[in-house]
Amino acid sequence: MSTVTTGPDPARAATPSVAVRARDLLGCEWTKFRSVRSTYWTLAVAVVTPIGFSVLVASAFAASPPGAAPVDPLLPGLLSLEYAVIAVAVLGVLSFSSEFGTGLIRTTFAAAPRRRAVLAAKAAVTGTVTLIAGEVVAFSSFFAAQSILAGHHLGVSLSRPGVPGAVLAAGVLLCVCALIGVALGAIIRHTAGGIAAAIGVIVLPAIVALLPAPWNGRIGRFALLDAARQVTALHPQPNLLAPALSLLVLLAWPAAALLAASVLITRRDV
Amino acid sequence: MIELDRVSKRFGPVVALDDLSFTVRPGHVTGFLGPNGAGKTTTMKIIIGLDAPTSGTALVNGRRYDRLIRPLHQVGTLLDATALHGGRTARLHLASIAQSNGIGRHRVTEVLRLTGLEAVADRRVKGYSLGMKQRLGLAAALLGDPPILMFDEPVNGLDTEGIGWIRQFFKALAAQGRTVLVSSHLMSEMALTADHLIVIGRGQLLADMPTAQLIASNARHDVLVRSPRATELVSLLTARGATVTPQPDGALVVTGLDAAAIGDLAAAHGIAVHALVPRQASLEDAYLDLTGESVDYHGTMPAMPADQGPVTEGTPTR
Repeated sequence: MSTVTTGPDPARAATPSVAVRARDLLGCEWTKFRSVRSTYWTLAVAVVTPIGFSVLVASAFAASPPGAAPVDPLLPGLLSLEYAVIAVAVLGVLSFSSEFGTGLIRTTFAAAPRRRAVLAAKAAVTGTVTLIAGEVVAFSSFFAAQSILAGHHLGVSLSRPGVPGAVLAAGVLLCVCALIGVALGAIIRHTAGGIAAAIGVIVLPAIVALLPAPWNGRIGRFALLDAARQVTALHPQPNLLAPALSLLVLLAWPAAALLAASVLITRRDV
Repeated sequence: MIELDRVSKRFGPVVALDDLSFTVRPGHVTGFLGPNGAGKTTTMKIIIGLDAPTSGTALVNGRRYDRLIRPLHQVGTLLDATALHGGRTARLHLASIAQSNGIGRHRVTEVLRLTGLEAVADRRVKGYSLGMKQRLGLAAALLGDPPILMFDEPVNGLDTEGIGWIRQFFKALAAQGRTVLVSSHLMSEMALTADHLIVIGRGQLLADMPTAQLIASNARHDVLVRSPRATELVSLLTARGATVTPQPDGALVVTGLDAAAIGDLAAAHGIAVHALVPRQASLEDAYLDLTGESVDYHGTMPAMPADQGPVTEGTPTR
């Protein structure tokens, strides 16, 4: 209407490019991410506990007699990560569920009506931070465990073929679980429900290991943590998928969850 | 300008909005009135694309909200002042919103100053009073300096000084040529703030007119009369063309004659009059007349003495 005397000035109203709008949303989500305490608590749990835990596991391995059943020298690092995945999944769930819980999501979607872009920005921020945290944890755990195992029969060097890839993949596991958390937070929109669902998706499939053979392997090869073990082990299990395929399974979980979230997020009233 | 064209919204079997059409024009404070549950918040959520209408369209400056790029430059909204992450400071809360629409940090400082929150800007908002949260919500709505502003029950939680301040604030925004839509369930509040009123009840449009006109067209004028010879007075009054409604307590409510004429008439016939009270229906009454049928949740009045007890505000049990 022509009687509007105030309004956006033309320069500001000029349509910004997609790249500029993406940067804006990333900046917004980064500010939210770094401005609440829960971020630091969950990250501290995700980083500190696995490093400590891998030292404990490695010590137990080192104490076992040389003739005992062979174990994978990379297992301490991975086992310890399986506790960190819950912490980062909580971090991911909170990115959405805390906004749904408080009603802040309405402010967010009013500021950015393209809701899938909000989902992408949250996933990018949480995913990037947890990937970095995951690699820090994976390498720290590896070196901590190896400093104990080195004097025993289980010592391996980072330069040994297959080791760098396995350690890198262990770091990716945290990012994968955080992204599943982000997606479940957007889908379930409730903190407790989202966390419960994340634990269900990430941990519960491990139950299939209790199935009688060969079904434990046939189904278990698609379970998230079993796929993660294949990718991060020096000696992969023969009854599960090959590491390359397991990596695909590992990445398919967050991809599927985020896809479901992106479908639902635009359809629902908030 | 905000335009609603035949907007309906159903939540399962519940019809929240029923074929609602209205236009909110710039340059005025438009009051958006209705009892609790009338559909005010749902309407506002549909305008900014949070809820999808079952049918019909809502446009802001001729466009659908969810098609806008950087919408905070077009529309500023305050829906729920308590919708905050308690652990975040006001400054970072505003900064995150500002960033999403490419608004600079200096504007964050500016709106904090405008709303009087500068001194507490770096405190976590969980310590804020409801009034401070309302101010923070207002600050967020102003970030993009938008030509259209919508506020849902912004007066809740403000103290007297804050209410006076926010009224002047809305008027100043409208005087700058902006479109200002303010919802409330309190007619008395809107009478002081709004130039134009849109009244809804049960999701339907009940009135859309200037405030003064709504008062004039709905206000009733009558005279309360008490007399020991009421029966005789009734026949005299009706003979003069007045309408008389006897009350349960023996009083008469007379319309069509003013107090002076009733007094003269009684005196001419030697009838004693014990009370002669001209009454003007308040704006609140006019509002209750409009919305009385459409209130979803009626309260009941506590038992009262036979004489006229005080009428409790907000319990339209007529």
